[in-house]
This record gives sequence, C-alpha cells and structure tokens, in this order.
Amino acid sequence: MALKDFLPQMYRCSSCANCKFIPFDKVQSARFSENCPSICYFSFHSYAARGRYQLAKALVEERLEFTDNIVDVIHNCTSCGACDVACKVCRYNLDVLDHNLELKAYAVEKGHAYPRQKEMIGSLKSEQTMIPGMKKKDRAGWADGLKAKDLSKEKAEVAFFAGCKYSYDPELQKIARADLELLLKCGVDAGLLGAADNCCAGRAYQMGFFDDFRDRAEKNIRAFEAAGVKTIVTPCSDCYHAFKRLYAKLGMDIKVMHFVEYLESLINDGRIKFTKQLPMTVTYHDPCHLGRLGEPYIPWEGKDKKILNQVLVYEPRKPRYNGAYGIYDAPRNILRSIPGLRLAEMERIREYSWCCGAGGGISETNPDFSSWTAGERITEALSTGAEAIVTACPWCESNLRSSQAEDGRKLPVFDIAELVLKAL
Amino acid sequence: MEAKKTALAEIVGAGSVFDEPDILCEYSRDASFAKPMKPILVVKVKDVHEVQKIVKWANETGTPLVPVSSGPPHHRGDTVPSVPGAVIVDLSGMKKILGIDAKQRVVHVEPGVTYSELSEALEKEGLCIPTALAPRKNKSVLASCLDIEPRTNPRYQWFYPEPLRGMEVVWGDGVRLFTGSGGMGPMDLEKQWKEGNRQTGATGPQNVDFIRILTQSQGTTGIVTWAALRCHILPKIHKLYFAAAATPAGLEDFVYRILHFRFGDELMIMNSAYLASLMGEDASQITSLRGQLPPWVAMVGITGRKILPEKKVETQELDIADIAQQFGLKLVPAVPGVSGNQALKKISSPCGDRYWKETYKGAYQDIFFVTTLDRTSKFIDSMRALAEADGYPVSDMGVYIQPQHQGTSVMLEFNLPYDASNPAETAKMKEFFRSASAELSRQGAFYSRPHGIWAPLQLNKDARNYDVLKKMKKIFDPNGIMNPGKLSI
Amino acid sequence: MKLSPEIYKEFEEIVGPRYISQDPGVLETYRCMPAQSSAHYGPYWDHMTPTPMAVILPGCTEEVQGIVRLCNKYKIKFKAGGSFWGAMAYIGSDYSIQLDMRRMRKIEIDVKNQLAIIDPYVNGAMLQSEAMKYGFSCNIPGVGCSSSIVASASGWGGVGPSTVCSGGHKENLCALEWVLPNGELLRTGTAGSGDGWFCGEGPGPSTRAFLTASMGVCGEMGVVTKMAMRLYPWPGPAVLPSTGTVPAYKAALPDNFRCYTVCFPSWDMWAKALTMCYDSDLVYLGHRQFNMFGRDLKGAMIRILTDPDKQLCDLEELLSDPEVKRQTEEMKLEFQIVLAGYTKRDMELKEAILQEILKECDAWLSSMMLEPDIENWALLYLIRLGHKNLNYVMCGSYEGNFGLNPNLWVSASYMEEAAAFKKQWEDTHTSIVKNGGDSEMGSFSFTGGGGAVGWEFFVDFDAYDKDSVTGACDFIDETEKWMAERHLGGDMGRSNKYLRQPNGYDWPQEKHNELFSKVPQPHVFAYQWKVREAINPNLLGGSYYRTLDPEMIPENKR
Repeated sequence: MALKDFLPQMYRCSSCANCKFIPFDKVQSARFSENCPSICYFSFHSYAARGRYQLAKALVEERLEFTDNIVDVIHNCTSCGACDVACKVCRYNLDVLDHNLELKAYAVEKGHAYPRQKEMIGSLKSEQTMIPGMKKKDRAGWADGLKAKDLSKEKAEVAFFAGCKYSYDPELQKIARADLELLLKCGVDAGLLGAADNCCAGRAYQMGFFDDFRDRAEKNIRAFEAAGVKTIVTPCSDCYHAFKRLYAKLGMDIKVMHFVEYLESLINDGRIKFTKQLPMTVTYHDPCHLGRLGEPYIPWEGKDKKILNQVLVYEPRKPRYNGAYGIYDAPRNILRSIPGLRLAEMERIREYSWCCGAGGGISETNPDFSSWTAGERITEALSTGAEAIVTACPWCESNLRSSQAEDGRKLPVFDIAELVLKAL
Repeated sequence: MEAKKTALAEIVGAGSVFDEPDILCEYSRDASFAKPMKPILVVKVKDVHEVQKIVKWANETGTPLVPVSSGPPHHRGDTVPSVPGAVIVDLSGMKKILGIDAKQRVVHVEPGVTYSELSEALEKEGLCIPTALAPRKNKSVLASCLDIEPRTNPRYQWFYPEPLRGMEVVWGDGVRLFTGSGGMGPMDLEKQWKEGNRQTGATGPQNVDFIRILTQSQGTTGIVTWAALRCHILPKIHKLYFAAAATPAGLEDFVYRILHFRFGDELMIMNSAYLASLMGEDASQITSLRGQLPPWVAMVGITGRKILPEKKVETQELDIADIAQQFGLKLVPAVPGVSGNQALKKISSPCGDRYWKETYKGAYQDIFFVTTLDRTSKFIDSMRALAEADGYPVSDMGVYIQPQHQGTSVMLEFNLPYDASNPAETAKMKEFFRSASAELSRQGAFYSRPHGIWAPLQLNKDARNYDVLKKMKKIFDPNGIMNPGKLSI
Repeated sequence: MKLSPEIYKEFEEIVGPRYISQDPGVLETYRCMPAQSSAHYGPYWDHMTPTPMAVILPGCTEEVQGIVRLCNKYKIKFKAGGSFWGAMAYIGSDYSIQLDMRRMRKIEIDVKNQLAIIDPYVNGAMLQSEAMKYGFSCNIPGVGCSSSIVASASGWGGVGPSTVCSGGHKENLCALEWVLPNGELLRTGTAGSGDGWFCGEGPGPSTRAFLTASMGVCGEMGVVTKMAMRLYPWPGPAVLPSTGTVPAYKAALPDNFRCYTVCFPSWDMWAKALTMCYDSDLVYLGHRQFNMFGRDLKGAMIRILTDPDKQLCDLEELLSDPEVKRQTEEMKLEFQIVLAGYTKRDMELKEAILQEILKECDAWLSSMMLEPDIENWALLYLIRLGHKNLNYVMCGSYEGNFGLNPNLWVSASYMEEAAAFKKQWEDTHTSIVKNGGDSEMGSFSFTGGGGAVGWEFFVDFDAYDKDSVTGACDFIDETEKWMAERHLGGDMGRSNKYLRQPNGYDWPQEKHNELFSKVPQPHVFAYQWKVREAINPNLLGGSYYRTLDPEMIPENKR
C-alpha cells in the first residue's frame, strides 16, 4: 500500500482520542492511563495517531510541504502499536500502526530521513547490522567456545538467532550465551547460522525504510532456506516480530519461536527443573514486538465492500491484528514457575503495555525521547513495589538499564533467562 | 409622590396601591437589624403584566422597587428598602397554582403560594414538594426556593436550586422572559404545555444560566412571577429516626456514610437547644425539653413511596441501623422527649401562627453559612467561645447542620434567641451578631446567601466576584431600580 | 496567517519554546473536518476548520492568564481544547490561536465531601479510575470517557447513563476557576474567597451563570482552569476489574452489580417503566445504549463485539441466524439498566423493585443480554463508557438526530413514527446505514433523579464518501422539517448549524442577528450579547456563543 491508499482511513478516523490512551476499560489510574510515548513526550496532538492521519492527509492532498518539524513528527514514533490496539477496541476498519509506518516510508521515499537513520541503513548494507560501528566479522564473537552446531555445515532442529543487540552489546552478550548454553544443556539440537546470521532488518521496517528491509529480508530468507532451517528460536522480540510477521508476509515458511516460548515448553516438559529459591518481587515488561505485535501473520488478499448501504467490510475476512493473541502468558508462566519469585503486575501490561522507548529506531535517532519513555516505564514498575523489572527483549533491557524513573531512581533489569538460570 | 401613586394606580387599580402610614410602616422594618426605611408606596400585583408595567415605569421614573412575596414577619432584611423612595411590589396576592403535571412531576406556582397551600394541592395528585425546615406559615414557596433555603432531604438535591425548574421573570430592565427550557418556546405557558414542554429544564435555555442570576439575589435582578418546581411522589410510609451523640463530631462519620450511600430522605443534625425550639410549644416546654434531649442528634427520614413501600422502608431501617452501629451509634425511633413522628411533622410542615424560632424569647437572630460537615465542629467551638466571651447564654444557642447538594457541603446555622423587648439585650445581640458574623467569616464561613451585613463581609473577600456581580447587575438592572443597596451591588 | 515574530516571542516567553508551535504540520493537525461527526452542525463534505496561527500548551493557570492577556493586547481570538474530538473544540476564524490543555491534568479528591478538583485535561476515565480508589465514581457523559470533564461541563452538555443517579456535570459542578476572556481570573463560590472548592453558588447570584447553562460556552468565553465536581458512590472494587480478550473486555464484578436489558411490548410501557425507575430511585446507570446499532442489527453487533474473533464481515451471517434474529426481535424496544446495591439488602430491594416494574409494564429481560459474558461486557461498557468510537464502527462516522423534546411521554409517542420515517429513507437511499429505522439511543435523564430526556437516532454514514456525507446531511434536513411539522421542538441533528458555517468558519454577527431576532424569545440572545460585551469586550470568541444585537429587537431600537 502507498500512503494515498490510506486516504479513506484519514477521513474515517473520528478524532475520538482513544489512540492517546490505553483501552479505557483498562485504566486504573490517571497517572498511567496513556499509551503513546510520542504524544506524551512531545505533547502536540500531531504526535498522536489521529494527528498523523491528519498530517498525512495534508501531505497526500499536497496542501503541505515537508518541514524539519514535520519530519520530526513523522519519525518520532516508536512504532509500538499501542495506538493501534486502543483504536481497534472499537474500530474494525482502521489500521493505525500500518498508517504510521506508511507515513514514515512516505517521508523516506521523499528523502526526509535523519542522518542517523541513513547511517543505520548504511551499516545494514555494509555490515549487515543496524548498530553502526559494529562489524560483521565480530558478530558471532559472543558464542566463542560454545559447542553449538554450525548450520552452514550441518543440520539442527533449532537455529538460535541472537540478533544484533545480543550479538554486539557487551552487557547483553552474556545473556545470549546463557540462553544458548541452556538450550544445549537441555539437550536441544540447536545451532548457529554462521554466515547466514545477519540483521533481521526489522528496525529498518519500523523506521520506514521498506525497500532496505525487503532487500535484507529476502536475502536472509534465502540463506535460511539454504541452511535448511526448520525452526528459528530468538531471544530478541524485534527479530521475533520480523520473522513471525514480516518475513512470513514475504513468503518465509519456517517455524519461528521466541526464546520464552521454547523455555516454557522446556519447563513444561520437565527438561528444566528449578532447584533454588528466588525470593524477590519482580514486574514483567511486555516487549511490544513480542506482545501486541507478536501475533502470527495470516495471509490475506481481498477487497473492501459495503453492505447494508454503508457498512464497511472486507471480502474475504481480513485478518485483524489487535494484540489479542500476542505472547503474554509464556513469560509470565515461566516467572510463576520460579520458586519464591513473586510477580507484581504493572497497570499497563499485555496488549496495552507501555513501550520501552527503543522501538522504531528511536534509541538511536532520539536518545532523549527514548530514555524518557523508558523512565516512564521504570516509574510505573517502581509503583508496583517490584525490586526488579524483567523482560524478554535486548532493546528493552538495554533501554531500561540506561534510564531512570522520574524521581531519579533506577531499577535492576533482568532478562527472563537470567532469572531462570539463577534458580537452576 | 402623588404622581407616582396615580401612575401605579393606573397599572394595578387604585385599590391595590397603598400609602397608609401603618401599612408603609409594616414594610419599613423587619426582625433583622436592617436599618428601617419607609417605602413610599406598596402595590399589590395580580399578574406578570402588571409587574412588567411597574418595572418599566420604575425605570422611567428611577423609582426603587422592592419585591416581597411572603407574609410578615420577615427576618433577613431583604424586604426592607435600603434607599428612600422605594415602592414595595407585593406579590403575595399572586396565589395561583397554575398547573400540576403528575406524570412529569412538576408544579407551576405563583409567588404568593405558601407551603401549606401547595402541599394540599399536591397531595391530591399523589405528590409532595421538598421543603425548607419547618417554614413560616405564610412563607412563599417561590421566595424560599429562590433564596436557596436548604431542603431537608439532601439526597434529592442534585443541584443547589432544587426543586426550582423553569421560571417567568421580569428583569430589572423590564424585559419579560422564560428561563430554562421554556426560554426557547413561545412566551405562553398554555401553548408550551400543549406541545409537551413543562419547563422541566432548569438551566439556560442557552449559554447564560438565568436561574443563577435570580437565585440568592434578594430581588436585585428581577421579579419572578411563576416557577416550575420538581415534585416527589407522596410517601405512603414516612418515618424519622434519631442517632444521638455527645458532640457533633460524634455524628459526622455516620452522616457522611448516609450521604455517601444516598440512603434515607431527610437528613440533618441539631443540638438539643435547636430541636427543643422546634418542638416546644412554649418557653418552659423548650427549657424542659432541652434538659431531656440528647446534646446532639442526627435525624434520618425514611420514606416508602409508590413501589414496595414497606420493603423499602424495612430495608433502609436495617441498613441505616447497621451503619449507625458501625460508628458506635444507635438508630432509634425516639429520643427522650421527642418521637420521630412528632419531629417529622414539625420538620416537614409549615408552623403555626407564630414562627417557632420566636417561641422561646420572642425574637431571634440566625447566623447561617455554607461549609463542609468536617469543618462544622471547628465553627461550633468558635461560636461557643464567642458567645461565652460575649456573655450570651451558650445553652440558648441552637445549632442546625443541614447537608446540602448530596453532601458536598452543609448549611451551618446558629440560632440565637433573645428578648427583643429588652433594649439592652437587643443592643448586645446586635453587636454580638455583627462581631460573631465577622469572626466566623474570618475563619472561613461562606455566606452564600449574603443578607444584610454578610454581603460586604463576603464580597470584600472576593473582589473579582464582586466585580463580575456588578457587571451582572448592570446588564439585568441597568438603572439600578431593583432592591438597590442589597448585596452591596 | 502567521503571528509576527515579536508576538510569537511574547507567547513563547510565557510557556517556553517546547510548548508553542507554528509549524504548518502541527497547525494542520489542529483542524477539524466537518465531513466527520461534527456534533450536530454538519456533516459537510470537503471543508476544514481554519488553521490556527499557533498552538500553545499552557501548563498552569498563570500561563493561561498570560496567554489570554496577550490575546487581548493583540486582539487575537483563541480557543482551548482538550480531546479535540468535536468541532466545537476548534477555532473558527483566521486571526486565532489554539490552546491545547493537555499539560493541565491534576486531580485532587476530597474524599469526605465527595468532591474532585480537576484540571481541564482530565477525562472521564482518568477521574473515574482515581475516584474508584475512594469508593466513588463520576458522571461520564454519553459521549464517552475520553472527553474532558471540564470541557464537557463548561463547553457543552455533560449527561449520560450515570446522570439519573449521579446528576449531570452542571448539577455536580461546585466551585471553579476561570480565566475570563478579558484575562481576569475569577474563582466562583467558596473558591473566590479562598474557603475551599465545595460550593459554587454565590455569594448572592452565581457568576457561573455566565459560563455554563443548558449549553456551555464551547470555549468561546475564556478558559476554565479548574473545576470541583461532585462524585457519586461506587460500591465496587478500588480498581475496575476488566478481564477478557481484547476487544471483548468484560467486568468481573461482585453480585451487587447487575446489568439488565429490559424489553417492552410498546413505547407506552417503555415510558411507564422509565418513570417507575425515576420514582423508585432504582438505577445506578440507565441508557438505551445498544440500539445505536439499529433495531435490526443490535443483536448481531453485540455478538460481534463480545467475541474477540468476530468482525463486521460476520454481520450478514449473523443477521441470517434464526437465533440471533429471535434475540434481536426479543429486545426490539428496550433499555439497559445497571443496578448497584450498597448493601446486600439494598440489592435485594432493587431486584424486587425491578420485578414489580416488569410485572406492571408487561416487560421482560432479554435472555441474550443475560448470558454472563454479555452481561459483564455490558456492565463494563456502561460503567466506564470507554467505547465511544463504537459510534463510528459501521463506516467511520455518525450524527444523532430527532431528539430534543425533553418530555418523555411526548418523545415516546412519536418514536415509532420517527423510526418508520428513517426506515423509509434507508430503503430508498443508500447514503446512510440500513439498520431498521429505529436507532434511537440516549440517556435516561438529563437531570439527576429523572425528568427531562433527550434521545437521538444514530445516522451512520461514510465520511470518505461524498454521496454518503451529503445524503446524511439531506436526511437530517428532512427530519428537521418532519420535526417542525409536528411541533416537536426542533431536530438535534442540525441544531448547531447556527454555530459554525459549513466551511468551518464562524458565522458573522449579522447571521446570528438574522436568526435570533426571529425566535420566540429573542431577549435570551440579546442578554447573551450583553454578557459577552461585559466580560469579553474584545470579542475574542467565536459564534458558538449565540448572541443577538439588542438593537435588532424592535422594542429596543432607539
């Protein structure tokens, strides 16, 4: 779809303001009632999904020329999809997130991207990672010494895909390593992709660089297929979303699981047994791309039509992504199974979770906004009385670790696998 | 003067214009400390057309008008002219009950209709009207509502001017208007009724809330010639219960909870002096009752109306008793000296020929203002201290706490009986009334109905409201002919 | 049109550079499209409200006052908005600025005295969630919990399912703080003398009379910066329990809450039952809610909304399902009520009263709506009113029409005829959704305790389809004539067409003079003109404030 194809939605959006809040049925306090980091940080109506529709309408209708500020409005969106879920509580004929992304793509197409974004895309092209400065040759360093199969040479049941952040971030590399060790310890037939281990490019998509995403994704799919990959397991929620939703749309037919799903099955199978108590209270942060955006792709080709004079429907039935079937329970089940651990929920969870601020490439392009968004989450986490915040995405972990609550406090951040390992 | 008399006689007929000294004298003073001032004439009006003509005439001649609806004795000074040369517009003869619509539960009354007259008519239709506490026999229902005298059933006071709905008014500039939802239709009640409009919407009719320019205005903005009032279904069962305590604070949580749950109908707190004054037939009985009654009582009315009256009353009796128990109180149908039935009758009916507040010493002064229930104890303590310091017998001081607006505030009233035939006592009372009013104001008393000296006390604390009020006055009474001098505007 | 750099700088000095913008992209998003639902003045195809010269986000009362004073200095019109839903939130002339109140969002609760003191951005969901912690709820207007309470109370109406029990916003309003259009700061009632926020009446006549009546002033008369609102009891948990799979959320409340859909054989009985509800203080919430989907569609729509896997494309199949048809027919004439018991006995009493009403009105309860998941969904829906955008579910836009006559018995008597009139249009025109004619919905009462009512028929149309927009407009014009012929007090659908021109701009005074000099009581509007003169001498508002030059009234002509 092109931006102009969203014109009907731009008219049919009713300005109801629901896109600025978590689903109202879920509001427990005024403090944590909002859902959109972008409008909360930048304040102007323009930054909410409704404002983006209106801005896009003026651009498409050629009533408006790009300004630096318009570029800021368009790109300062974490692509977290919270507005999409809130809108779809009632609407069946708007796709707010798709529109936000298409608007970014439109800006990119017209040459309105940040230098930092271009740097990231340059790195994607040259080093197959969207973390500028990192080198392809160092990508697999985190797994040095591990006895995992090399899928370029032999077959395995599971391809473990750490993703860029776990691969390059020295703070987080140990988590990827522990994840893989755990799989191997449990007897899982797991291997690494070797040369085929490249950036998923999901962030390129989130930033509106659709062509670059597609280019990388198609190369990756071909490489996965060549390696005979049957199942990809990734501890990165961004990668998970890219493979599960975006690659599937491009025709990839490989089973994709997030590490937490696999971990849950290992616990359920009795292959992981806890021996230690972890007497602590934690809260769980749902990564956007694992939770509300983690629903599997369902192919659809069809058209819209009107029934009963004016009721808008799709023929055939169009898949509806509203966060209903994201991955929410697996991580919670894992946490609940750890002896002594208590899970205290935040107010904004599951499909209406607050974003960590790293999405949409924002941690790279606007660190202040990104860090503020993470700080909001820490403030919320602290309000539960939790001693730590647990999550299942390296981008979230990194952002939450480097940020602080509104009162300046920090909170320990754990990957869920870290807690599992502590309790073994 | 004579010219004025002639002009007015042309409007209302010679028989309805009075300048006899005794009549003028009657209107020149009341039981308050308002400075006596003789009007030049009294006119008794019969309908809105006469009122409108008089107001137009007053504008042309610069004659001050003072509207009066209730019969004497008046107590708040608002019907006593503040300036010389005033004409009293007496509306007490406008006694028509214009219509009762039982389905819409609304009644239209003229200003002269009293509570007893209205109750009698409504009863026949199975309706009743929320009343102020034991009103004077000749108290105008409309005047009482316009002054927002608090109703005794706060649970039904969704908005302050309850039960007022639409009205007909002649503003100070002579313009006649319907307020509320009636303001958008033809200025003909019968025609509006025919189209189903019973003036049930109190506010508006558009951007300006005319009702609030008339309420608490002491006749300074216009003259109301009829009002639609919201009625209730006449109870089939009606009971009143007491919960007693040594201090008002001891009743606070109980009353708050009843308000919170919107249980009961009538709900108020009185001290023994106030309740004794209300119930006693003469001074000695009042004295004796004071000795018997608990120091403080909360009174809760419970009604059963049309649907399952018995079950409703029984349910609320048990629930309210439970709440009382929760706060260490006991809900009882009688306290020593007074039964619930006796009290209920007194509270909800107009009193006899003599106003009950005058029974004990022949005269009284009230200090009343709006505050919140949790602040009442502080004010009561202050008032006691002030009385003690002034030498006023604290045991005579009645205290009445009337929750309003479903509990967001209360009217706190201090009733101060005294002997007006004793000049020294009267002078002392006058000074005490002044100083106590001022001190309470300093402590945060809000004189929402700023009669007499309370107007400057209150408005001097709030320059901006004062300024806007003056603008309001200028719009609706540009020549300042409506009860000039009142409200300090 | 742009602000001069000097004037821009003056505004910027008040709020800081972060909270002011004149970027064309930002300004564009503060415009309203009248092809959408426009709160009873359109819909009009191919227009937008004017572009403001700047958007400013004040953070406190002092900043608001500073902005308004500058506006007076330079004669710049201004308007404050909160949720920016309806057309009334947007400016209506070129030399104007838009205030966005989203930074002002404080809530303070006086638990004992049942009050919330709130800032302008606080909406129904924010306030209700805070109030519930203390055993209270708040009135939420039918427009939904996303709307600003201050905007609704000062600018518009403010009635909904809760109003019969809680009172409407204007009844609940206590003291308030208001930056007058001339830049002066007024605090009404007890707040004026610093005595608290609990009473907004007086001293003497109430100055709030100039701010809000049956209609609010739609942001044309300064900016309200704080309001104290009465709360009402919430005998439920401190957090509204919401379970279920999105979007089929449902409330799991204890037994002292029930939601019933009461069905009737005739409109007479329907009206009688409503009256009995008033007379017995029965209901906690009362609305005819789900009929907004239409008499023929409501059963199927409820099935869709309560099943996370269903969509609008399931509508046709559901409509042909005999069981859904039966259930829809069963609740042809109905309303929804929520009963809430403050004690076990109280709940038993209320259930018994309901049985009496059913008996006396030959009424019954909808079996479909008693299915636990549906009942719990309806409970949540009505308690929070968090589903405002379901108003647009069919095709993106709607407008409400008919309505207005406040007399329940009058409105009930023409309901079926109105439904037939609409059905005929649906059958002969494709511009609006065909949903069975009767799509009448609305609140039990405009006032606490019952009494005045106001029903509207939902007319669903597609804001992206010119024929649908203009056709919906035509239909509403037709109903206006239909109402006028029957002396039914005007039509709600276009009742605000005198507030803004079809092109999104304010009407000039001449237009208001022409219109309001012909009404039966023109002085209403002449007084409003005088009030505006007194507190808005530089005329910095727009035509949502309705005025008539007093000179236009023959008797006033000098």
